[in-house]
Amino acid sequence: MQPLANVTPLKPAARAGAIEVKNVGQVFRGRSQDVVALDDVSLEIKPGRFVVLVGPSGCGKSTLLMMMAGLRQQTTGTITISGAPILQPDPDRVGVVFQEASLFPWLTAEDNVEFPLALRGVPKAERRAKAQDALKLVGLEGFGKRHPHELSGGMKQRVSIARGLVQDPPVLLMDEPFAALDEQTRMTMGDELLRIWAATGKTVVFVTHSLTEAVYLADEVIVMSARPGRIVDHLQVQLPRPRTYEMLSGDAFGALRDRIWRHIRKSA
Amino acid sequence: MSAKTLRHLIVIGLIVLWELLPRTGLIPELFLPSLSSTLIAGWTDAAEYGHALAVTLYEVVVSMAFACGGGILLGAIVGSLPRPRVLIMPMVSSLYAVPLVILYPVFTVWLGIGSESKIAFASIYGFLPTMLATAAGIQTIDPQLLLAARSMGATLSQRLVRVIMPAAIPTVLSGLRVGGALVIVGVVVSEMLISSAGIGYLISRYRTILDSPHVFAGVLLVLFLAITFNAAIRWIERKAAIWQTGTRAGHANDEMASGAMQPAT
Repeated sequence: MQPLANVTPLKPAARAGAIEVKNVGQVFRGRSQDVVALDDVSLEIKPGRFVVLVGPSGCGKSTLLMMMAGLRQQTTGTITISGAPILQPDPDRVGVVFQEASLFPWLTAEDNVEFPLALRGVPKAERRAKAQDALKLVGLEGFGKRHPHELSGGMKQRVSIARGLVQDPPVLLMDEPFAALDEQTRMTMGDELLRIWAATGKTVVFVTHSLTEAVYLADEVIVMSARPGRIVDHLQVQLPRPRTYEMLSGDAFGALRDRIWRHIRKSA
Repeated sequence: MSAKTLRHLIVIGLIVLWELLPRTGLIPELFLPSLSSTLIAGWTDAAEYGHALAVTLYEVVVSMAFACGGGILLGAIVGSLPRPRVLIMPMVSSLYAVPLVILYPVFTVWLGIGSESKIAFASIYGFLPTMLATAAGIQTIDPQLLLAARSMGATLSQRLVRVIMPAAIPTVLSGLRVGGALVIVGVVVSEMLISSAGIGYLISRYRTILDSPHVFAGVLLVLFLAITFNAAIRWIERKAAIWQTGTRAGHANDEMASGAMQPAT
């Protein structure tokens, strides 16, 4: 793994944003009874932190992420990013990375990365330059002319990350971005993501099912329970950075993972 | 030997047989006139065939505009809005099973035996598969793509132009392929039934006087028309859906589309 000290930040004045979630609730109106998907969730994320949301299926972690992205409206409560409430998608403040399938298959890698810029009418030359920078950042220099079907799963996800970062938003939201990848690629991509995060200094909120991935990547892990979805624990991961493969078998790592697992087993 | 050369050899073999079998007398000229006598018949009456081709082409082009334009428009509406879908889809699907040719005599009563009745019939004939394919193409768009576009701040019209349309192109094109082939069938068949001009009319008129070479010359022209149309669609497919070529899904679509065209022609 690449030592992080050698990474020079691409953007000297890296923008990072704070996220504030206050008393957020989500209720789905059912036929016989209402289903409470999120119950009074509050949390605060400081700029530049790497925060991972974990929890059993149906705990509302993806729902919460979609609300932070402005893609879904909460029933109650407010979400503020960089000081202003988020009411609709705002690519200036929030970049989103989805699961593998969200690249446009008819566009080349660089056109995919340019897509959010093209939506806002950024001139071609500027678009191209920014896309090249973003592709370089994720280690895909020279692959810009390929279509998604010519890229491996890991490379596709790198393109997605580049697309999420191309507008230089202070916050990057990631919804199980590595779930569709095989174990080895997943490990490599985790290291890559940490490198990119260190280089850009963004605030990252990352949703995953994998407890190992959660502890390996995070500064903080937020554990949620299902039905109703609420926060049951908020752990600080004090492991030194850069994270290494050897830490996975260490006692500190194991203790954190066990603590999360106990919460999840209880609520599942 | 590659499949392609083998295919070419089979076609050449069939052409040679077409020439030889009638000449040797194995098949009477009435059933199958030799290729050369067919070509000569077409050549000597080139003006007549040219005029008929112009009429048929005009009908095909206008019907195709109606069938494809209407099919794509209505398919897009039905594919993207659930309410009209529930209302219209069951009707369209059952209509698809009806042999629409039974409507043609009605059209001749309404519109006369000129081009109008052919255009009306062929338009409806080609409209259904185009519409169904467009609706299916739009319904099967990955919702993740639309969500991703929304997260990047795409407005409704931007999502339509930059996501929905390009994503639907491959399915729409395979629908156009089937729909267009049906338009050609519709025009030629209706010309053969009741009409006063066009290739179908020539075929049916020469058949009644048992002039086989002239019948087959007309058949050759229709064949030529269908092959040209198919080649044109393939060319557009290759240009527009470049991202699908080379993937397994792309090939599967291709096979399915050409397979689906078989019963039509």
